Amino acid sequence: MVSDSITNAPIPSAPNSKDFSKKKRANRSAKLKQCKLDARREQWLSQVAVKSKGCKEEGNCAKKERDRSLENLRQRDEDNNDDGSIHHESDSESPSNSPANSLLGGGGGGSGGSDSGTNFIGSSSSRSSISGSSSGGCCSGSITEEEEEDGCLDDWEAVADALAADDDNNKPEPEPENSSSQSPSESQLSMHSDSTPELTNGFGLDSANSMTESARMVPRISGNNTQAWRPDDAYRPQSLPNLAKQRSFPATNRHFGHGGVPWSRNSVLGAPSSCPICYEDLDLTDSSFFPCLCGFRLCLFCHKRILEEDGRCPGCRKPYEHDQVESEASVQGGSFTVRLARSCSMIARS
Amino acid sequence: MQASRARLFKEYKEVQREKTADPDIQLVCDDSNIFKWTALIKGPSETPFEGGVFQLAFAVPEQYPLQPPQVRFLTKIFHPNVHFKTGEICLDILKNAWSPAWTLQSVCRAIIALMAHPEPDSPLNCDSGNLLRSGDTRGYQSMARMYTRLAAMPKKG
Repeated sequence: MVSDSITNAPIPSAPNSKDFSKKKRANRSAKLKQCKLDARREQWLSQVAVKSKGCKEEGNCAKKERDRSLENLRQRDEDNNDDGSIHHESDSESPSNSPANSLLGGGGGGSGGSDSGTNFIGSSSSRSSISGSSSGGCCSGSITEEEEEDGCLDDWEAVADALAADDDNNKPEPEPENSSSQSPSESQLSMHSDSTPELTNGFGLDSANSMTESARMVPRISGNNTQAWRPDDAYRPQSLPNLAKQRSFPATNRHFGHGGVPWSRNSVLGAPSSCPICYEDLDLTDSSFFPCLCGFRLCLFCHKRILEEDGRCPGCRKPYEHDQVESEASVQGGSFTVRLARSCSMIARS
Repeated sequence: MQASRARLFKEYKEVQREKTADPDIQLVCDDSNIFKWTALIKGPSETPFEGGVFQLAFAVPEQYPLQPPQVRFLTKIFHPNVHFKTGEICLDILKNAWSPAWTLQSVCRAIIALMAHPEPDSPLNCDSGNLLRSGDTRGYQSMARMYTRLAAMPKKG
């Protein structure tokens, strides 16, 4: 797939290398492959008309796009004000350039590439080091970026997660690396969504590893935190749509039990109340089912069973679909009071 | 799994979780049959049954919770609404006033309430009912206390 062609390319990149042209020379073969990759991408994304085709001719462009995607990741992590529209800036002609983008692009132009890339590169030295070192390394970034270009903003996290999941299968023990050491390590590089310098180092290390070890197929975006965002991440842009859709992605919650991110389906959803009759959880339909004026709620299944029998509301004992008030039962403040035979009344557990 | 079994299983878990919630009620399920339950309830204070521990037997029907459980006293009790020989209980919520929202635990609470507030007009124990209806509260209480001491308290010596 695409990722293989990218990462197999020998890329001389040091974590802190800032010389862009030197890298360009060294990465010639990688660039050729990236051109092919771009062509393929164009085929895939043929429906995206507004995409800048000019990037294709130059291998740098692919690099920049990748850099951009990485930058996007980083910016999303660190920038709370980022509203997510930064995705669009991978496309230079994209109409929606958010204020966040223009802020980020303030230091642009340093790397001299296509103007779509100048939004990020050169805004800080660490960013330029990212852009240099990650030239051949990160395939999942490029995939992510493709998703962004495609406009599938809500799927890119899932795709990234799927790639990371495959990585988990292929690679040995993921070792979360919390230190910001510059030395290349064989362990998986962890990208914590809340630590920016670590991320920078992570990508630098990653490309360094891919240089020394060409057998390494897929670079690591994340070892510890395989999610681009946790569902409760405060930095998660609001514009990123439904987590529910993401959770429907089959690979998302398969491999992450060890990853340190409790990514369970139920954690996001609110705790549903249960039917007081059968004690089963109320589903969405049941939750919006109000069969009786007294407010006693139950699941549709139990409601049907009761209608087949005596047809009285369990909460107030009034027959369903009738409004007549019986003197025997009265509803008081949510808990129902049941009059016993003569004088003793008691409040039942609701 | 049928609904009654599922519901009883949930109730069992609830009872296990809230074991200390109500110190007056001990509700245990039969080891082999979830439709058979046994409860130990303490006699309410300031009644003739104070200090006694009464055993109840629950027989849960298949249609539970749409049908009420059948409950009877295994411990002898002198109470107008409890049959002296069979232990059958005359309680509206166990008959026509049953609601599926009730649980075995709440039935136990209702029975404790019935012990504290006897209903002599629908007696199963006519002797006890007659004592109350004739206004002989003292006689009723002494009889009830005697049987509590005889049947519901640990034997001394």
